[in-house]
Amino acid sequence: MEVLSIDNLCKSFGDKEVLKGVTLKVPENSIFGFIGKNGAGKTTTMKHILGLMKGDEGEIKVMNEKVVYGQTATNRFIGYLPDVPEFYGFMNAREYLSFCGEITGMEKKNINERSEKLLCAVGLDKEKHRIRGYSRGMKQRLGIAQALLNSPKLLICDEPTSALDPVGRKEILDILMSVRDKTTVLFSTHILADVERICTDIAFLDEGSIKLSGKIADIKGKYRSNEYMIETEDEASRKVLLQKFDKLKEEKGQLESVLLFKETDYDIHTVLAFVAEKKLPVIKIERVEPSLENLFLEVVH
Amino acid sequence: MRTLIAFTKKEYMEQVRSRKLLVLGIIFLILGLMNPLVAKLMPKIMEGMADQLAESGLTVGEIKVTALNSWEQFFKNISTGLIAFVLLESGLFTREYQSGTLVLSLTKGLKRYKVVLAKIFVLLTLWTAFFWMTFIITYVYNDFYWDNSEASHLLFSGICWWLFGAWVISIMVLVSTVSKSGSSVLLGTGGIVFFIYLLGMIPKVEKYLEIKLTEGLKLVNGQSVVSDYVPALIITLIVSDVFFIASIFIFNKKSI
Repeated sequence: MEVLSIDNLCKSFGDKEVLKGVTLKVPENSIFGFIGKNGAGKTTTMKHILGLMKGDEGEIKVMNEKVVYGQTATNRFIGYLPDVPEFYGFMNAREYLSFCGEITGMEKKNINERSEKLLCAVGLDKEKHRIRGYSRGMKQRLGIAQALLNSPKLLICDEPTSALDPVGRKEILDILMSVRDKTTVLFSTHILADVERICTDIAFLDEGSIKLSGKIADIKGKYRSNEYMIETEDEASRKVLLQKFDKLKEEKGQLESVLLFKETDYDIHTVLAFVAEKKLPVIKIERVEPSLENLFLEVVH
Repeated sequence: MRTLIAFTKKEYMEQVRSRKLLVLGIIFLILGLMNPLVAKLMPKIMEGMADQLAESGLTVGEIKVTALNSWEQFFKNISTGLIAFVLLESGLFTREYQSGTLVLSLTKGLKRYKVVLAKIFVLLTLWTAFFWMTFIITYVYNDFYWDNSEASHLLFSGICWWLFGAWVISIMVLVSTVSKSGSSVLLGTGGIVFFIYLLGMIPKVEKYLEIKLTEGLKLVNGQSVVSDYVPALIITLIVSDVFFIASIFIFNKKSI
């Protein structure tokens, strides 16, 4: 089942067309990476899903219910973390979550339990100060806590890691990973390493339309080349290999010890047998996976 | 209802923790104390200046101060209170637009009209509390020093001025729903009030204008009668309500 489906969403600001027919399906229990350059229209798309902007054309459905601009009932299924979440600085984290719970209509007991659990999960349970003094990382973590408070079906995060240091990034990614069982996560980003780490599905947004989308495994399978690489431990064994298999080639931009070959040139098992027979010290032998970076660049150009 | 209460609670918490409540409380308290004090001290001040005045050819006779003098001060000074109130509260909506704090609340399913209702409620309760606090302080001191019975229609003239304040608040709320910054709210609100003030210069329309309600002194000292104020009172009531309702509709369509 799809938690979110967008069909032919169009939006212009003046004569600038920002979204030109975005079509997207987010399956349940996926971690969906919504990838695009700055200004590709990621935030605009998300604001439409949340009913904060009115589309010129197209339809959005959350849990099979149509999203309406203004009074957006579908938001009860959604937890949202904006790129720079802003809270009431005069409250502390607990008070803020309590406020969020009350305006969502949660029961008092439920609010307390969930708040305690989530504050522990994001590491803010010992924090007694008012939000005004929080760092960006702390605000981002509180942002996730408030987004998950009413156990939403869909968690939407707008570039949750872009402004964070490596430690903060890891914390946020770990939290996103951990909620996957109960919540589908849609997050926009331009940091491809984050996507490689946690996403199950992706969509590339470029110039206002989706250029590529689907399961990461499928996409990688589709774009997988028939190339293998061997990395040897020393120069001598590299020479031995080159002598035997003269079509092995070095790749530009790679380490010198790395050699590449095509499946059509040599059977992998022949190569493996040779390596085993000569007892060549290798660091690794692997099938070359298409990197998201290459895919992205290929799709965007 | 619970969500409305929760949002209203948050508004009060902000008023307390941002010290706005304290600052406004002090201002209105001082205003309340100043009215009888200035009236009480007036003869002393004049006496002190008598020599100087005599030199310039003016003689100061015996000055008799009554409760009316204190009420005169009240109707003069309360506008300072209203201006302070508007200055401090002008950012009530726009602060939330600018910081983006409303985005999270609204995406949690909080109905937009509740945001407007909560803010109107907070503004009106604060205005009511501060205005009548000043009024009562003045009244009690006046009763202590002089005699309030010299002043006529005190309660009615108070209600008129209070309603004028509520009308100004309704303008502030309406302007807030279309403005982006606190300064444009101030400018818009000030502009509209000033325009009505200028209109008030025209004798024929003067009695229908909201600004008429600020002339409580004339009622108190017997220069006018209650019926003079009724048209303005009714019009102000209607206009304020229309403004509040219009704010809700505009806010519903606002892009946040």
